Amino acid sequence: MEEDSVLERHGGGAEPVVRLVNVTKRIGKRTIIDNLTFDVPPGEVFGFLGPNGSGKTTTIRMMVGLMRMTSGEIYIKGRSIRTEFEAAVRQVGAIVENPEMYKFLTGYQNLVHYARMIPGIGKRRIDEVVELVGLSDRIHDKVKTYSLGMRQRLGVAQAILHRPSLLVLDEPTNGLDPAGIRELRDYLRHLAKHEGTTVFVSSHLLSEMELMCDRVAIIQQGRLVDVRPIRRDAGAEKLEILFEVDRPDTASEVLDGVVLRTESGGIVVTAGREETADINARLVAAGVRVYGIRTVTKSLEDQFLEVTGGGRIG
Amino acid sequence: MADFLNLVRNENMKIYYRVRTWVMSAILLVLPLAMSIIGRFVDDSPNMWSYVMLESGLMTMLLSIFAVVMAADSVAGEFSNGTIKLLLIRPWSRNKILLSKYLALLCYIVLNLAVFFALTLLLNFVLFGGGDSGSSIPSGWSPFGYVTAWYGLNLIEMAVVATMAFMISSVFRSGGLAIGLSIFALLGSGIISSLLSLIDKPWIDYVLFMHFGLERYLNAGELFRGHSLGFSLGVLAGYYVLFLALSWYVFNRRDVAS
Repeated sequence: MEEDSVLERHGGGAEPVVRLVNVTKRIGKRTIIDNLTFDVPPGEVFGFLGPNGSGKTTTIRMMVGLMRMTSGEIYIKGRSIRTEFEAAVRQVGAIVENPEMYKFLTGYQNLVHYARMIPGIGKRRIDEVVELVGLSDRIHDKVKTYSLGMRQRLGVAQAILHRPSLLVLDEPTNGLDPAGIRELRDYLRHLAKHEGTTVFVSSHLLSEMELMCDRVAIIQQGRLVDVRPIRRDAGAEKLEILFEVDRPDTASEVLDGVVLRTESGGIVVTAGREETADINARLVAAGVRVYGIRTVTKSLEDQFLEVTGGGRIG
Repeated sequence: MADFLNLVRNENMKIYYRVRTWVMSAILLVLPLAMSIIGRFVDDSPNMWSYVMLESGLMTMLLSIFAVVMAADSVAGEFSNGTIKLLLIRPWSRNKILLSKYLALLCYIVLNLAVFFALTLLLNFVLFGGGDSGSSIPSGWSPFGYVTAWYGLNLIEMAVVATMAFMISSVFRSGGLAIGLSIFALLGSGIISSLLSLIDKPWIDYVLFMHFGLERYLNAGELFRGHSLGFSLGVLAGYYVLFLALSWYVFNRRDVAS
């Protein structure tokens, strides 16, 4: 059974870009990462979510070979990061925590430095990337004169220089202003959509992940809690709708059986677009005064707190 | 192979695009120039070779210190600046990345020593002319032969000390510790070796500090504790290999968590 499913995945067009198989990291007696297993499908922006200290950065460091696994295996495009490091990491571009560059070199010299480490990256590609991240005006200045936002751009530039299939970003929005965050978000979605780059991005900023990602994995205390897709097509499905009314009890009677729960000042039902209108009509016809109708979608934040059980730091 | 040279070029870039590298080299250039020119006007009976030896003694000491600074920064600097993370996620094994750093360091030492060797000979020849070596060169040596041998032995010592700094830098990721310990070994070896000499046990013959100051062996008949040059070189080679092995072992296994 196991083998079959592996073969199937390799045979299909959608082989996962990253596969973590029973990844465990122990430091001394402490288990930092506990048996983590999940796949990252290609062409998605994949969020990696967890409270501080949950093991996000450790996992990312193992993915790019900066840390060793105690046991388990990580494959990048089918290559083991442990035994085929060079072939595996060739597919990866990354910023691990802050994009620290050589401050005494110019931005351009920094890029030349990284370009030299991979064959086939010429001056043209460097110029192209510089243009892409919008650093053309300042690229020949020393990095020590750069603002944090500019360093972040340079960080992205070095990460995409060799056209990686997988872009790994650890807390990329740290220290960016709202405009910078928005720009980065748009850019990552562009990479995933138009260049087919798989983006693996970690954060503890839930709202950010919600806007950026197609799918999120949630970890807590080194364990995988859940992997779930983020719904973008909210209009098509049934949602929980709150009707603000003057007499919730009467409203429940009127809508016999439909009501999910009664709250102070209102009732909650599960309904699609048309049903919402119907319910409203029935309530009004029955003389119930309706003050407001709104959806009570659970934000990722609520889901996150629900599954991680609050903000315990592991 | 050409690819690997790119790594060395990168390391060279990180050495030679820094102001401090050129400040150090400027010091190595200006000091002997000043010493010789002042000597030219003050010294009653100037002698080319005595100036060559005087300046060489001082400058190799300085260059050793600069080499230790470079070696200490080579690995520890990448860790303290966080740049090590971006360096190690390239399709190169850690072995090769460390090797490129080490080769760039050795190149820096050899280049500086060679330039200085040529400079001091040329400078003092121009200022003082060839002439008799007087008492500055031990009898039995041609002046040029002696100076060349002297530089050769100093190069070996410098390589050992710089490798020690490189090892500490790699093992402890602390540039300060690497600089401190290595300069202590460099400057304190004389005191330590004379202290150790008081202990009359055979193991002290294998202590690193007993074997610095190799140029002693060039003065014929002055055998140190009955050792030969070959024995001292052998002990230094042993430490050298040990330092390299430790550097590579730790660098390869290290979890980059900073």
